[in-house]
Amino acid sequence: MAERVGVYICHCGTNIAGVVDVPEVTRWAGELPEVMIARDYKFMCSSLGQDLIEKDIKELGLTRIVVAACSPHMHEKTFRGAAQRAGLNPFLMEMANIRELDSWTTDDKEAATQKAKAMISGAIQRVLFHQPLELITVSINPNTLIVGGGIAGITAALELANAGYHVYMVEREPSIGGHMAQLDKTFPTLDCAACILTPRMVDVGQHPNITLLAYSEVESVEGYVGNFTVTVRKKASYVNEELCTGCGICEEKCPKKVVDQVFEAGIGTRKAVYRPFPQAVPKYPVIDRENCIYFQKGKCKACQIFCPTNAIDFEQQDRFIQFEVGNIIVATGYDPFDATRIPHYGFGRLPNVITSVQFERMVNASGPTGGRILLKDGTPPKSVGIIHCVGSRDENYNEYCSRVCCMYSLKFAHLVRERLPDAEVYNFYIDIRASGKRYEEFYHRVMMEGANMVRGRVAEVTDVARTADEEGKLIIQVYDTLLGEQRRIPVDMVILSVGVQPRKDARQVAQLFGLGCDFAGFFTERHPKLDPLLTMVEGIYIAGACQGPMAIPETVAQGAGAAARVAGMIGQGTVVMEPIKAHIDEERCSGCRICNNLCPYKAIVYHEDRQVSEAISALCQGCGTCVAACPSAAITGAHFTRRQLMAQVEGILLDVRQSMEASST
Amino acid sequence: MATTTVSQSSTTFSQSFYASLHEIAGGEKVRTCLQCGTCNGVCPYGYLMDYPPGKMVAALRAQRFERVTEADTVWMCVSCYACSEVCPVRIPLTAGLMTRAKEELLLAGNIPSELQVALENTQRYGNPLGESPRKRADWAKGVKPRVPIMSEERRPVDVLWFVGDYGSYHPRVQPVSRALANVLNALHVDFGILGAEEVSDGDSQRLAGERGLFEMLAAKNERALSQYEFKEIITGDPHAYNAFKNEYPKLGIVYPVRHYTEFLAERLDALKSLFKGEVNARVTYHDPCYLGRANDVFEAPRQLLSAIPGVELVEMPHNRTTSLCCGGGGGGMWMDGFHWEKAHTRLSEWRVREAMQVGADILAVACPYEAPRFEDATKVVPGASRLIVKDIAELLAEAMGD
Repeated sequence: MAERVGVYICHCGTNIAGVVDVPEVTRWAGELPEVMIARDYKFMCSSLGQDLIEKDIKELGLTRIVVAACSPHMHEKTFRGAAQRAGLNPFLMEMANIRELDSWTTDDKEAATQKAKAMISGAIQRVLFHQPLELITVSINPNTLIVGGGIAGITAALELANAGYHVYMVEREPSIGGHMAQLDKTFPTLDCAACILTPRMVDVGQHPNITLLAYSEVESVEGYVGNFTVTVRKKASYVNEELCTGCGICEEKCPKKVVDQVFEAGIGTRKAVYRPFPQAVPKYPVIDRENCIYFQKGKCKACQIFCPTNAIDFEQQDRFIQFEVGNIIVATGYDPFDATRIPHYGFGRLPNVITSVQFERMVNASGPTGGRILLKDGTPPKSVGIIHCVGSRDENYNEYCSRVCCMYSLKFAHLVRERLPDAEVYNFYIDIRASGKRYEEFYHRVMMEGANMVRGRVAEVTDVARTADEEGKLIIQVYDTLLGEQRRIPVDMVILSVGVQPRKDARQVAQLFGLGCDFAGFFTERHPKLDPLLTMVEGIYIAGACQGPMAIPETVAQGAGAAARVAGMIGQGTVVMEPIKAHIDEERCSGCRICNNLCPYKAIVYHEDRQVSEAISALCQGCGTCVAACPSAAITGAHFTRRQLMAQVEGILLDVRQSMEASST
Repeated sequence: MATTTVSQSSTTFSQSFYASLHEIAGGEKVRTCLQCGTCNGVCPYGYLMDYPPGKMVAALRAQRFERVTEADTVWMCVSCYACSEVCPVRIPLTAGLMTRAKEELLLAGNIPSELQVALENTQRYGNPLGESPRKRADWAKGVKPRVPIMSEERRPVDVLWFVGDYGSYHPRVQPVSRALANVLNALHVDFGILGAEEVSDGDSQRLAGERGLFEMLAAKNERALSQYEFKEIITGDPHAYNAFKNEYPKLGIVYPVRHYTEFLAERLDALKSLFKGEVNARVTYHDPCYLGRANDVFEAPRQLLSAIPGVELVEMPHNRTTSLCCGGGGGGMWMDGFHWEKAHTRLSEWRVREAMQVGADILAVACPYEAPRFEDATKVVPGASRLIVKDIAELLAEAMGD
């Protein structure tokens, strides 16, 4: 084999050269029989570094290139470009990742140098068997799926729809709006949440470019960037949307009251046929089958009897809707932390211990108390304790900071003083994290208004009184870390500022879309700094609190950002894909069909007539599952052939092989 | 354990103490202390300690640790695990920080005289009460069938019952031991005890800073146990349970161990068939620190109580992980006068008040420290004299018509 191989070893400043003995590796590589030239350079990815490679290809007639540097995720494209500019097929370049997989993992210089040699040796042996390949271009469907109708999804949908692109929005609940629709006011400006949110909800509902699928869930996603096929289950609502006018008579007449655990967080009620709130979009109510008297006992039908347009349809079934999109934005939001998990705060046991979500509903003018702050006995509290970091910054629950609780807790202090000017308010905190725009100023404002700030994480909330003035009160036991004393502060009401955590079913949703999750269960972005919206799956983006705790402004920015990324993709019209595809050799295929069901992309078809399987290039994602599974070795993955991989393994085992040969002689 | 009270080298006392924490499992977590104060807030004596755990960490960080060893209020710590339970960064506060601090106080000679006596008794007699080792099995006199003593039996048994110091000697706990013996006999359990060969498990001495003594006691117990054949150890003492489960294995002494409530909860059906009468009472259960918080056994005792005919089980506001300490742990059993002098109240009294608050007739316990401590408290807390304190074993035996 007369291939002319060039090896280029990057120092990456001290990132690699600080641990790996780069000059030694270069000397060693230069002496290998397969290698024509080996060079090292401080930053191979710089234009001067690339020039080095290009010049050698042209002047020395190199036919294969190995770059030992960082992860191919970072610079594979860069070095393929260099090869291409010099007239070499880009797939004849192979990278050895001696940074992430080597120098960053150890301080042991000798071992790191040895490993660098092994990896480079593997790359050299592999690249000898590379074949020139051409990139594949596919077109992008201009439609977009947005999963989740909270403020992130709403923002993204409107951005895309206003730009002239069609959007399918899928929302699990009967109405869009998400958590923001539950809030009273937003920090630090104290805007009424509904006043700024509902116009956008209406826009979504009325936009000609948006197909809103509420009370629906994504069942399956197939395909790849530019060409996804989505199946959505539209849950039976038992209300015919063609006929319903949203007049609300059914809700009025329904005799069954249900505690609303979702929108009212358990402190308010709704009917069995309901819209979560008056400004719901879409306006159609749904029947909650579990609580409907007709569904449970076989009679009632009050809603049907009184409906003026005959829109109630008890026979309705779930429907499945299928459509094609080019890109997907996942904006599924968060769940509030379940406060019953912390027994020493007494939530669920002590009646006047409530969660922040419940307080939002209570203080909201359209909420169950009409905006009045009330104890369970119907009287207003004379003192309120607000406990920060409930379920956050705690390795027993969620280790991370939920980022929004400090500010909303300060907002609560303001709202309590606004509604009940004579009430004492205490905020118990570990640290006040007020790092957003105008947040620190808001903190000062709340202190000026007279909120008591106590630095200490509350140890317990109890109703066991020890002194006369504690009788009948909730006692907050806390160590005031600034005073250096344990304090017992009796109050009437305790608000637990619960943190933000991934949705209960986040991991299933991740699986549905092929996304990654972090340790907590939040979806992971492609790069935490430079690519916070794209996921590891091309064409699927994440926005808002489904990827980590964030407040409304950042959520909106992410929604808009994801929309911009999608618009950019649609604008390109096409996307270039790696030609890394499976190919089935019909001569070798025995027609066993093992690969058919294993393929996660349903890219393999079976030809009954010829009794062989075929991989459809357009659908194949090059994952290699079928290649590994084929019992007759009939399937080859381009750029990952058996020959290439075995050669690489042999190359990596270089020193093992040498020492074995040495010992056998 | 390497300790330096007066530093000669350039390493300060604070630095060497800090470094010693890193040798304890999870001890390095002390570096991540948020200074949130939850530990200090939840500590039952946090209101009068000069250096509750969080402040102790602050003193360490500020290189002021010698001040901690000068403060006698470190001895208010009853090793109840309340602080460890709530620490958001899971610092081993009870097993690590507080116990290490007590070791330093001991070395510095800053020790309440009562505790000194209990430790000397343990050293001399193998039990903190200063009783004769020969009388260790005297409680069993009169139990029928006879309680088998391993050295006399000379045969393998299914269950080795580690009776513990208080179960063996304390006049209020001896009846508990007899009750448990009767229950085991009724269930035809093949068991035996070590008798005079048994010495204190040493766990509370360890938590009171006497690690050396603990290791000596462990070795003595191992010498006795290693002579005999048995399938598992059961004990009525959560402190002994903790020693066998978590501490002895670190010394290479490994036996399967269960608290008697776990052992009996597995035989619930057999027990039920033995119940003759009803215990018509409202019963509340106190979770012992070393059965509950330290070892996560919460349900077995409740299952046993609920199985007794006529028992209405009610919960106190502080239950399971939030249970209130009786005050006897970490050497508290031997510092009653010292604690009283500082606090002018006993932790057991708060517990009894809570049992009264939920209208309980019986306060059920599962630790040998508790029956005497709570019973004393019922005599002091106004209006609490009607509250009956019983070990679960006693209630089971009663229901069997014992």
